[in-house]
Parts: sequence; C-alpha cells; structure tokens
Amino acid sequence: MVVLISIILLAPLTAFAVYALLGLANKGNPRQDVLSTFAMLAAFICSILLFWQIDPKPVPLTIDWISLGSITFSMGFYLDSVTVIMLIVVTLVSSLVHIFSMGYMHGDPRYPRFFAFLSLFSFSMLFLVVSDNLLGIYIGWELVGLCSYLLIGFWFEKDSAANACKKAFLTTRVGDVGMFVGMMMLFTKFKTLSLYDGANAGIFTLVEGLSGTGDMLWLSVAGILIFCGAVGKSAQVPLHTWLPDAMEGPTPVSALIHAATMVAAGVYLTARMFPILTTSSSLVIAYVGGITAIVAATIAIVRFDIKRVLAYSTVSQLGFMMLAIGAGSYVAGLFHLTTHAFFKALLFLGSGSVIHAFHAMHTHHDEEHTDDANHEHDDHSLVHEHGSEIPPDQDMRNMGGLRRKMPFTFITMLIATLSISGVPFIFSGFWSKDKILGGVLERAMEWNSIHHYILFVIALIAAGITAFYMFRLIFMTFFGEPKNQEMHEMAHESPWVMTVPLLVLAFLSFPVVNHLWFNKDFVKPPMQHHIHAPEHAQVLPDSKTHNTEFSLAFLGVSEANAAEGEENGHDSAHGADGHHGHSPAHTIAMILSIIVAGFGILLSWLFYHKRRLSAEAVSTTFRPVYNLFWNKYYFDEFYDGVLVALTVWKSRLYAQFDGSVVDGIVNGVGTVTRDVFAAFTGFFDNSVVDGIVNRIAEVTWTIGGRIRRIQTGAIQTYLFVVIGGIVLIILIFRVL
Amino acid sequence: MTLQHYLVISAILFSLGIFAVLTRRNAISILMGIELILNSCNLNFVAFSRFVTPPENIDGQIIAIFGIVLAAAEAAVFLAIILAIYREFGSIRPDEVDTLKG
Repeated sequence: MVVLISIILLAPLTAFAVYALLGLANKGNPRQDVLSTFAMLAAFICSILLFWQIDPKPVPLTIDWISLGSITFSMGFYLDSVTVIMLIVVTLVSSLVHIFSMGYMHGDPRYPRFFAFLSLFSFSMLFLVVSDNLLGIYIGWELVGLCSYLLIGFWFEKDSAANACKKAFLTTRVGDVGMFVGMMMLFTKFKTLSLYDGANAGIFTLVEGLSGTGDMLWLSVAGILIFCGAVGKSAQVPLHTWLPDAMEGPTPVSALIHAATMVAAGVYLTARMFPILTTSSSLVIAYVGGITAIVAATIAIVRFDIKRVLAYSTVSQLGFMMLAIGAGSYVAGLFHLTTHAFFKALLFLGSGSVIHAFHAMHTHHDEEHTDDANHEHDDHSLVHEHGSEIPPDQDMRNMGGLRRKMPFTFITMLIATLSISGVPFIFSGFWSKDKILGGVLERAMEWNSIHHYILFVIALIAAGITAFYMFRLIFMTFFGEPKNQEMHEMAHESPWVMTVPLLVLAFLSFPVVNHLWFNKDFVKPPMQHHIHAPEHAQVLPDSKTHNTEFSLAFLGVSEANAAEGEENGHDSAHGADGHHGHSPAHTIAMILSIIVAGFGILLSWLFYHKRRLSAEAVSTTFRPVYNLFWNKYYFDEFYDGVLVALTVWKSRLYAQFDGSVVDGIVNGVGTVTRDVFAAFTGFFDNSVVDGIVNRIAEVTWTIGGRIRRIQTGAIQTYLFVVIGGIVLIILIFRVL
Repeated sequence: MTLQHYLVISAILFSLGIFAVLTRRNAISILMGIELILNSCNLNFVAFSRFVTPPENIDGQIIAIFGIVLAAAEAAVFLAIILAIYREFGSIRPDEVDTLKG
C-alpha cells in the first residue's frame, strides 16, 4: 500500500524533475512526452491496484513533520474508498489528456515543457487528494493553483493568455485567504490540522466531541471560510469569473485542470470537510451552489465560443455538486464529480479536436509565416476578455455540418452531451444528476424546509437549461449546413492519438462504474454531528402537507435552536444518504428531471435544428434578459468598475499624498539641514576637527617612516613571526 | 582507540599543515596546508565530543560540520584571491608578491 501510493505520487514528480533538472538549459528532454505519459500510466495502474487493496477501516499513514514546542505538524496519507476513486479519476483523465496532447500540442516550440507542467500538476493534484491533514491539502491546493497559472499562461505571447493566468491566480487567491483563516480557526481551537485520528485525535473526532456544547457559531464561520477556498478554486459565484478566461490555455489543459480535476478539488475539499459542516454553513454552501448552477447555465445559453460554453457549463455543474454537498448528499456530490470529470473532459477534448481541425486550416493559409510553429496561436491575439471577440476557430457560428467530416469526434461528443443533459438510464450523467436532485428534494421533504424546496426548483431549471445549451452546441457545430465553406473544406478528423482518448472517455460516459456509488458498504458518508433538522420537522412527519407559513419560520434557523433540536434531528440527518433510490423523493425527482431534460432538448431542436423558432427573435423580445446573459450578469464589469477602479483611485490618492505631503516634508527637512546645520558643522569641521586630524597624521607619518623597515612584504616571514609568537606565549604561560 | 590516538593524529596533521604553510613556495600548497590545520581542529572537536562530553551533547559534531562548511567557503575565497594575484603579478609564488614591503 505504501509502495503503491509512493509510486503514484513519485512517478509524475520524477517526470517533472527530469525536465526541471535536465531540461531548462537546452530545449528540454526531447522525449518528455513519452516519459510523462508513462509516468501517468504507471500511476493509473497503481491506483487500480490500490483499489483492490482498499481498507474498509482506513488508518492514516502519518509521520511527524515539524515539531515546534508542544505542537507537531504531521504529514501523511489517508486512503479510503472515495480517495481511491479520486485517484483513479485523476490518473485516468490525466493519462488520456497526456495522450491527446501528443497530437494536439504537436509542433509547439515548448512541447516538452507542456508535458513537464502536466506532470507537476498531476503530482500536486494527487498529493492534495491523498493528504490526511489540512496542511498537506493546502500545499497541494496552492501547487495546483501554480500549475493552473503556468498552463493557462502557456502561450504567454498572447496578451489575453497572460492576463487570464494572472486573473485566475489572483481570483483564486481571494478564496484561499478565506480558507487559510478557516484553517487557523480550526487550529487555534483544536491545536492540530490532522483530519483523522493518528497519534493524537484528529479534527473530526474533536468536532464530534463538541456535540451540543454551547455556541457553534464559530464552527459555522470556520466551515464557511474553508468553503471560501472551494468557492475560488471551483469557480463558484461570485469568484467564478476566472474559469471562462482560463480557456485561453491549451484545450487539453482546459479538459484536465479546468474541467475534470483541479476545479473539482473545491468540491472534494468541501466533501472532505463534511463532518465539520453545521446546519447554517451547509445552507450557505447549498445556496452558493444552487445560484452558481443557474447563473452559469443561463450565461452559457448565449455564448458562441465553443470553449466558453463548456466553461460555463463546468461552472454550472460544479454548482450542482456544491449544492448536493450543502444539502447533505455527500455521495451524490462526489458521484457527480466523477461522472462529470469523464464527460466534461470528453467534451473539452472533443472541442479541442474541432479546434485542431481548424488550426490546421490556419497553418495552411499562413504557410509563408509558419517559420514559427506557434504561429497559429499568435495570429488571433485578440483580446476577448469580455467574450465579444472570439477566435474564428472557436466560434460556433463558423462551424456546422461537421458530423460527416469528423465522425469520431461527433459520436463521442454526442454521447457526452447526452450524458450531461441527463438523458435517462443509459448515461452516467443522468444517474448522478438525478441523485443530486433527489437528495435535495429528500432533504426538503424530510425537514419541510422551504430553502431546500427553492434550491430543488433552481436545480431543476438549471438541469433543463443544461440540456438546452448542450444540444445548442451540438446542433450548431455538427448539424446543419457549413457556415464557412472555406473553413469547412479544410476541416478533417484528428489523428488517432486524439480520437482514442475520446473513445475511452465516451465509454466511461456510460454508467460502467455507477454501482460503486450505490454500494453503501463501499462509500460511507461520514457522520455530520452538527447538522440538525429544524425542530418542527418531526412535528410534521407528513411533508406533503407543506405549509408555507410554517416554513417561513425556519428561515431564521439559528444556531441556538439547532443545538436544542439536536436529539430529534440526529437520525434524519445521518440517514440522508442511507435510503437513496427508493424514497418517493427520488422517484419524483427522476420523473421531473427527465421531463425538463426532454423539454430542454426539444426546445434546442426547434431553435437550432428545425429552425421553427428563431433565437434572434426571442433575444430581441427579451432584450434586457438577453443583455444580462450576454454580459455575464456584469460580474466582470462590476469587478473592473468597483474593485479595480477603487484600487486605482486609492493608489492615485496615495501617490498624490506621497508627492505632495511626504516629499514636501522630506525636502523641507533636507533644505533646513543643508542650509542651517550643515553650514555650522562645516565650519567646525574645517577648523577644529581638521586641525586635530592633521596634527595626528603628521605624528603618525613621522613614526611610520621610522618603523616601516620591519615590513619585509614576504607573507611567510609574517607567518613565521606569528607562529613563533604563539610558541613564545605558550612557553611564557608554562613558565608562569 | 582512545582519546590520545585521536589527539596524536590531530597533532601530526597540525604540524604538517604548519610546515606546509611556512615552507612551500606555491600558494596552492599553502592552501592545502591550511586545510590540514582546519581538519586537525575538526578531528579534535569530534574526538572530544565523543570521549569527553556526555553522549546526548552533540555540540562538538555540529562545530566540526561548521568547520567543514567554513573550509569550503574559505577555499572558494582563497582560490579567488590566488586568481586575482596571478592576474596582477603573473605568479603565485608568495615570496614574489611583496608590494607591501616597507
């Protein structure tokens, strides 16, 4: 077990180290791609082997890392079923992306560096996943952030990419500050950052011991602060704006980091912290997730850049996962994480395949300029920060009719789309999304909580919109007549290194491993000791007789009555994941989700395939709403207009203060010193001090002239005198 | 092996070092002599730490490690000085470098 986990972590790290140590001076290891890919495949195989050895009662493998007085920071691994599933997902998607990149990045001048960064990213992500303490998670967390920065800005010649990577780094940093403060709150309270019991009790055990003792507000605050880190990394509203811009990176990076793994790290962290969530922090998480799901979905409807549609779709799906965890459906959230990782990676790689087809066209047309193989990335260095200018090879309005040109890409992307849209029964996305919707509705019925009813409706609408915009993408890209005949002529199917990963991921978009998530012995949700139903929930066992007046009273579920309601709320809270799949809530949710998905697909078909309805007409009719979606709810404008402008204004103010007041004082002091004090001391210096110094110098000169004869200048003579002197001194001391 | 053995070896090393420093006509050889002197000191530290102080006290070893680091730094500086002297005088024989002669 230790051997396997060591290989999983060290293989990608070694691949990066080989590049870092051998590569930077010359153009890098020419076979870095093979090295990195094999390292990833080795890690994948070890993850599979680890899967069979997984302990039902895991113990952390820890060592003490730093001892400071009475406090010891440990470092170690915790391997339970969820960790291993994450390991398999990360290593598998990463391996496939490595293989895909061999085709996609071919001919890039920094080709080896790309693979080295992918390896470093994979190591960091795996480290984050297996760490058993918040410190380790934080280290991995910041490392994946760094890799994300490096890879978004991989084509740093483009201004838009350079800006996007800075934006991503700084925006996620906002959340990370919150996370760090949350960690420190837990640390001050518990004097440890370990999550699980090792030599000493871990945070989760200590949290359990807190049950019902007084005011739990601080725990809610700590939970929300740690969730802030997840808000940044998983691109939840309001820190979601970096993720769409992160699409400036190469498409394989978008698939691996900004769809399948890193952005899911926030969801994973929130799931890891499940036991410390309280009723109110859960509700905050659920609301943030629900709002993100619907906001991002509505923005995705009106985008024309194929990668931006997928980016907003990712944000929206991450919102679903957060909503699930906030609503207490631990299993559903992680289940959706894994299914989403596969089908969204597939969608991104598919879009990469489409873009690659058009790239080829670009290079063909600019043959006279292709001395630099990177040229195709430079020649559209448009600033499309606000989505208004789209590179032509990513603009869906230039596509259409590609299904005959690129059959593999079409089929695999269609499978992924059916999966994400929630087409029933034979696609994995349906099962995971349904589990989320069912989980939320179940919580709503159980607690008779109006919050969760609202969230359920939001999630249902978002699910319908998801189906709509995903089919819009498919219809615009692959169906209909080619919009741009010239580009269409040049388009071609991608080489096999790119289609094989698509096929593997397409296979995984079917529910091949779902049974793991429905196996209650395999995935056990951890206990939440501080989640309580509102105390009235038990009074109204028949949740069908939903009473708005009653529910409104629950809007102010405070910590105080949550503590009181602990006894009766306990069972229902823990049972939340226990009876999935059979309760009426799940049946209702399943039927409703099939209806909304069908409705979304139907509308999409009418708008973009049959053209019975005109998207233009609708957008004109609802101009204000369309503008709101088109401008992405003005989040970027808000940040530019308020935060950036405020900072600039503040800096100007400080500069002015510096220029007038501080400089004035300094210059005034300088003038006074020079004209008043210096004049006086100068006089004193010239007459009194110089007089004394000159006398001394004359005396020294005279004496020096006499005794300079003893200096021979030969260094060994000096040494002889020194040693002789020492011997003399020793002799004298012996005599005395 | 007793403390005495170490001290004798150390004394021999020290004397050889002194001899080299005083008699050699090449600056590099003088540097080698200095290294011998330093290492004889390190040997003394380790020996006293092993035989005299209580075992949990490892100050002597630590100082020996400091001494090794110091010797490395000193060698770097010394070689740089020798290079500079060679550029200035065209020789690294110390008896030819006597500009400071009074």
